[in-house]
Amino acid sequence: MERIERIIEEINELRPVSEIGNRVTEITSNPNSSLTELVDVIKYDQGMTANLLRICNSTYFGLKKKIASIKQAVTYLGLNKVASLVVLGSSADNFKKAQAGYDLNEGELWRYSVSSALIAEDLAEKKRLKNISLIFTSALLKDIGKVILSAYVKDSFEDINKAVQNRGLTFIDAEKEVIGIDHAELGARVAEKWNFDSFMVDIIRNHHDPDKAPPDDLSIPIVYLADSICMMIGIGAGSDGLAYRYHQDIVDRLNFSDIDLQKTIASFWGKIKSVEELINLSKGD
Amino acid sequence: MINIIVGVADMKVSDDRGAILITHSLGSCIGVAIYDPVAKAGGLLHYMLPESSLDGIKAKKNPYMFGDTGIPLLFKEAYKLGVKKNRLQVIVVGGAQILDQKGLFNIGKRNYTLLRKMFWKNNVMTDFEDIGGNTNRTLKLEIESGQAWLKTGGMGVKKIWKE
Repeated sequence: MERIERIIEEINELRPVSEIGNRVTEITSNPNSSLTELVDVIKYDQGMTANLLRICNSTYFGLKKKIASIKQAVTYLGLNKVASLVVLGSSADNFKKAQAGYDLNEGELWRYSVSSALIAEDLAEKKRLKNISLIFTSALLKDIGKVILSAYVKDSFEDINKAVQNRGLTFIDAEKEVIGIDHAELGARVAEKWNFDSFMVDIIRNHHDPDKAPPDDLSIPIVYLADSICMMIGIGAGSDGLAYRYHQDIVDRLNFSDIDLQKTIASFWGKIKSVEELINLSKGD
Repeated sequence: MINIIVGVADMKVSDDRGAILITHSLGSCIGVAIYDPVAKAGGLLHYMLPESSLDGIKAKKNPYMFGDTGIPLLFKEAYKLGVKKNRLQVIVVGGAQILDQKGLFNIGKRNYTLLRKMFWKNNVMTDFEDIGGNTNRTLKLEIESGQAWLKTGGMGVKKIWKE
């Protein structure tokens, strides 16, 4: 078997997003869906319900009232946010392990994924976008390709690193050149296999190439910018570091100034303790 | 040996001979280590953003988030341990950028520019610098010896030369 085919074959070894996660995403992507539909999907799964309530009651949301039911959670946090939290509470498995090729210790990829999803959600709320939970989920799962590619990056690290250091390639272009496929493309293949909405597949595929987004699209730029912010503050930056392309025109499309950038960084870090709590709760510790 | 972790937007000083100060994940942030070989004491700062005028409330709550409030405090706290300015060894690393990141959005460069201005104004010389590029860095300082190590993403660990 060709190497690329073998890599793609490994998608089958990942643990797919749960049935409930998929249903919830479907419900929120349909503008006509209702609160009751969402509650009905979740409430029969006791484990999921307990986990979701723990997450809703974490200090990150700072709710004064203790949330005791899914219905209450939707009332206080909204449909979109609860949907995002369902995916958050059921996606950690694939991300928890160390990824040696990217020099990420145990838990670091998950921490990175949750952080960039929270920042993307924050930016999407500021821009008043629809589909916020889909943006959150795409940002959360965008690096799923790294989980498979890590072993190959490790084997070929010297060649990848040389291409980056000596020829100024981005890390992702070097992955593609040396291995034959990059982590974003591989992630998009995973998303397709798991029957994700094409909107999410596009975000995952282009999260390092926002210039490929349609000219009026803001969701890919938002996920891209959230990822760039994480790199700058050192979250999830491993052996690939910050060796990705910066697209000022894409950031400009969001009407995002350098002060906005710094304020987003400061505000995210200001609540890092509650973010860490959310990260730990969501991975089931 | 005890590893004392200096988090992001954090600072620690120590004169504990058994301590190693260590800070991870320096992307666009800057790590500043200072050490006095006579007092055998030093400190390590990891700041994220250049100027505290961005958000006075946050700066008051955590002055180590910003260079202009964090750097003076690093020196002040180290002086309390008997550190003298004229004996200081100073290491500055970090300030990385995403490829093609320019102008005002280049936080790594702005972080470094701020430090250069402050050091120039206060007549502080640096003994070792590793700034910019696109890599992620980790900095370690051993209090007993003043030996420091720099780990650069993808390029392993190197000892930083000291007198």
